[in-house]
Amino acid sequence: MKHIVKILTLVMAITTLWIGLLQTSMIPSSHTWLLPIYFVVSLGCYGLLMVGVGLMNFPTCPQEALLLQKDIIEAKEYLNQKGVDFSST
Amino acid sequence: MELADRAVGFLLTFISLSIFTYYTFWVIILPFVDDDHFVHNYFLSREYAILIPVSAGVALLSFLSIFIGFVMLKSKKKVA
Repeated sequence: MKHIVKILTLVMAITTLWIGLLQTSMIPSSHTWLLPIYFVVSLGCYGLLMVGVGLMNFPTCPQEALLLQKDIIEAKEYLNQKGVDFSST
Repeated sequence: MELADRAVGFLLTFISLSIFTYYTFWVIILPFVDDDHFVHNYFLSREYAILIPVSAGVALLSFLSIFIGFVMLKSKKKVA
Protein backbone atom coordinates (compact mmCIF):
# COMPACT_ATOMS: atom_id res chain seq x y z
CA MET A 1 0.00 0.00 0.00
CA LYS A 2 2.83 2.38 0.80
CA HIS A 3 4.64 1.53 -2.41
CA ILE A 4 1.75 2.54 -4.64
CA VAL A 5 1.46 5.87 -2.80
CA LYS A 6 5.13 6.50 -3.53
CA ILE A 7 4.72 5.64 -7.21
CA LEU A 8 1.59 7.79 -7.53
CA THR A 9 3.38 10.73 -5.88
CA LEU A 10 6.25 10.37 -8.32
CA VAL A 11 3.86 10.24 -11.30
CA MET A 12 1.99 13.30 -10.03
CA ALA A 13 5.24 15.23 -9.51
CA ILE A 14 6.44 14.39 -13.02
CA THR A 15 3.06 15.36 -14.49
CA THR A 16 2.99 18.69 -12.69
CA LEU A 17 6.55 19.38 -13.79
CA TRP A 18 5.62 18.55 -17.37
CA ILE A 19 2.48 20.71 -17.35
CA GLY A 20 4.51 23.53 -15.81
CA LEU A 21 7.06 23.22 -18.60
CA LEU A 22 4.25 23.23 -21.16
CA GLN A 23 2.65 26.33 -19.63
CA THR A 24 5.78 28.40 -19.15
CA SER A 25 7.26 27.27 -22.52
CA MET A 26 10.74 27.73 -21.14
CA ILE A 27 11.98 25.36 -23.83
CA PRO A 28 10.19 24.91 -27.21
CA SER A 29 6.95 22.97 -26.87
CA SER A 30 7.98 20.45 -29.55
CA HIS A 31 10.70 19.32 -27.16
CA THR A 32 8.42 19.30 -24.15
CA TRP A 33 5.97 17.02 -25.97
CA LEU A 34 8.71 14.41 -26.25
CA LEU A 35 9.09 14.05 -22.48
CA PRO A 36 6.26 11.52 -21.81
CA ILE A 37 7.59 9.25 -24.55
CA TYR A 38 11.02 9.69 -23.04
CA PHE A 39 9.68 8.55 -19.66
CA VAL A 40 7.99 5.52 -21.22
CA VAL A 41 11.21 4.60 -23.01
CA SER A 42 13.27 4.99 -19.85
CA LEU A 43 10.77 2.86 -17.91
CA GLY A 44 11.14 0.14 -20.54
CA CYS A 45 14.92 0.44 -20.34
CA TYR A 46 14.75 0.16 -16.55
CA GLY A 47 12.66 -3.01 -16.80
CA LEU A 48 15.02 -4.53 -19.34
CA LEU A 49 17.99 -3.57 -17.17
CA MET A 50 16.46 -5.19 -14.09
CA VAL A 51 15.72 -8.39 -16.02
CA GLY A 52 19.27 -8.43 -17.37
CA VAL A 53 20.86 -7.85 -13.97
CA GLY A 54 18.62 -10.48 -12.39
CA LEU A 55 19.57 -12.97 -15.10
CA MET A 56 23.26 -12.16 -14.70
CA ASN A 57 23.26 -12.61 -10.92
CA PHE A 58 20.85 -15.52 -10.87
CA PRO A 59 21.87 -17.61 -7.85
CA THR A 60 22.54 -21.28 -8.39
CA CYS A 61 23.36 -23.54 -5.46
CA PRO A 62 24.92 -26.85 -6.57
CA GLN A 63 25.48 -28.01 -2.99
CA GLU A 64 21.80 -27.60 -2.22
CA ALA A 65 20.91 -29.58 -5.35
CA LEU A 66 23.17 -32.43 -4.20
CA LEU A 67 21.59 -32.38 -0.75
CA LEU A 68 18.13 -32.43 -2.29
CA GLN A 69 19.00 -35.43 -4.47
CA LYS A 70 20.33 -37.20 -1.37
CA ASP A 71 17.12 -36.41 0.48
CA ILE A 72 15.05 -37.79 -2.38
CA ILE A 73 17.00 -41.05 -2.46
CA GLU A 74 16.69 -41.35 1.32
CA ALA A 75 12.95 -40.74 1.22
CA LYS A 76 12.50 -43.28 -1.56
CA GLU A 77 14.36 -45.91 0.42
CA TYR A 78 12.31 -45.14 3.50
CA LEU A 79 9.03 -45.36 1.59
CA ASN A 80 10.15 -48.55 -0.15
CA GLN A 81 10.57 -50.11 3.26
CA LYS A 82 7.02 -49.06 4.05
CA GLY A 83 5.77 -50.72 0.87
CA VAL A 84 5.27 -47.81 -1.58
CA ASP A 85 6.13 -48.67 -5.18
CA PHE A 86 8.36 -46.23 -7.16
CA SER A 87 9.10 -48.40 -10.18
CA SER A 88 6.87 -46.36 -12.49
CA THR A 89 8.62 -43.04 -11.81
CA MET B 1 23.55 -23.42 -19.55
CA GLU B 2 24.49 -21.13 -16.72
CA LEU B 3 27.02 -19.33 -18.88
CA ALA B 4 24.45 -18.84 -21.64
CA ASP B 5 21.99 -17.32 -19.15
CA ARG B 6 24.71 -15.02 -17.91
CA ALA B 7 25.58 -13.96 -21.46
CA VAL B 8 21.91 -13.24 -22.23
CA GLY B 9 21.66 -11.20 -19.04
CA PHE B 10 24.75 -9.22 -19.94
CA LEU B 11 23.39 -8.64 -23.44
CA LEU B 12 20.05 -7.39 -22.07
CA THR B 13 21.81 -5.04 -19.66
CA PHE B 14 24.07 -3.72 -22.39
CA ILE B 15 21.18 -3.18 -24.84
CA SER B 16 19.04 -1.38 -22.28
CA LEU B 17 21.89 0.86 -21.13
CA SER B 18 22.89 1.76 -24.69
CA ILE B 19 19.29 2.51 -25.71
CA PHE B 20 18.84 4.65 -22.60
CA THR B 21 22.06 6.58 -23.20
CA TYR B 22 21.35 7.14 -26.88
CA TYR B 23 17.75 8.19 -26.31
CA THR B 24 18.68 10.50 -23.43
CA PHE B 25 21.26 12.15 -25.62
CA TRP B 26 18.79 12.40 -28.49
CA VAL B 27 15.85 13.85 -26.58
CA ILE B 28 17.29 15.71 -23.58
CA ILE B 29 20.69 17.02 -24.61
CA LEU B 30 20.40 17.58 -28.37
CA PRO B 31 17.88 20.49 -28.15
CA PHE B 32 20.54 22.49 -26.35
CA VAL B 33 23.20 21.88 -29.01
CA ASP B 34 23.54 24.27 -31.94
CA ASP B 35 21.81 23.22 -35.14
CA ASP B 36 24.96 23.25 -37.25
CA HIS B 37 27.00 21.22 -34.79
CA PHE B 38 28.56 18.05 -36.18
CA VAL B 39 26.89 15.88 -33.50
CA HIS B 40 23.58 16.25 -35.37
CA ASN B 41 24.97 14.07 -38.17
CA TYR B 42 24.84 11.03 -35.87
CA PHE B 43 21.13 11.35 -35.07
CA LEU B 44 17.97 11.09 -37.17
CA SER B 45 15.59 14.02 -37.20
CA ARG B 46 13.33 14.61 -34.24
CA GLU B 47 10.18 13.06 -35.75
CA TYR B 48 11.81 9.65 -35.57
CA ALA B 49 12.25 10.08 -31.80
CA ILE B 50 8.45 9.81 -31.59
CA LEU B 51 7.83 7.47 -34.51
CA ILE B 52 10.23 4.69 -33.56
CA PRO B 53 9.12 4.16 -29.91
CA VAL B 54 5.42 4.42 -30.78
CA SER B 55 5.70 1.97 -33.67
CA ALA B 56 7.77 -0.39 -31.53
CA GLY B 57 5.14 -0.20 -28.77
CA VAL B 58 2.31 -0.85 -31.21
CA ALA B 59 4.20 -3.79 -32.71
CA LEU B 60 4.88 -5.22 -29.25
CA LEU B 61 1.25 -4.81 -28.18
CA SER B 62 -0.11 -6.44 -31.33
CA PHE B 63 2.39 -9.30 -31.03
CA LEU B 64 1.30 -9.83 -27.42
CA SER B 65 -2.38 -9.82 -28.37
CA ILE B 66 -1.80 -12.29 -31.20
CA PHE B 67 0.20 -14.54 -28.88
CA ILE B 68 -2.47 -14.44 -26.14
CA GLY B 69 -5.22 -15.13 -28.67
CA PHE B 70 -3.22 -18.03 -30.09
CA VAL B 71 -2.70 -19.54 -26.64
CA MET B 72 -6.38 -19.12 -25.77
CA LEU B 73 -7.46 -20.83 -29.00
CA LYS B 74 -5.05 -23.69 -28.36
CA SER B 75 -6.20 -24.25 -24.78
CA LYS B 76 -9.86 -24.15 -25.86
CA LYS B 77 -9.23 -26.86 -28.43
CA LYS B 78 -7.59 -29.05 -25.82
CA VAL B 79 -10.61 -28.87 -23.51
CA ALA B 80 -13.11 -29.72 -26.26
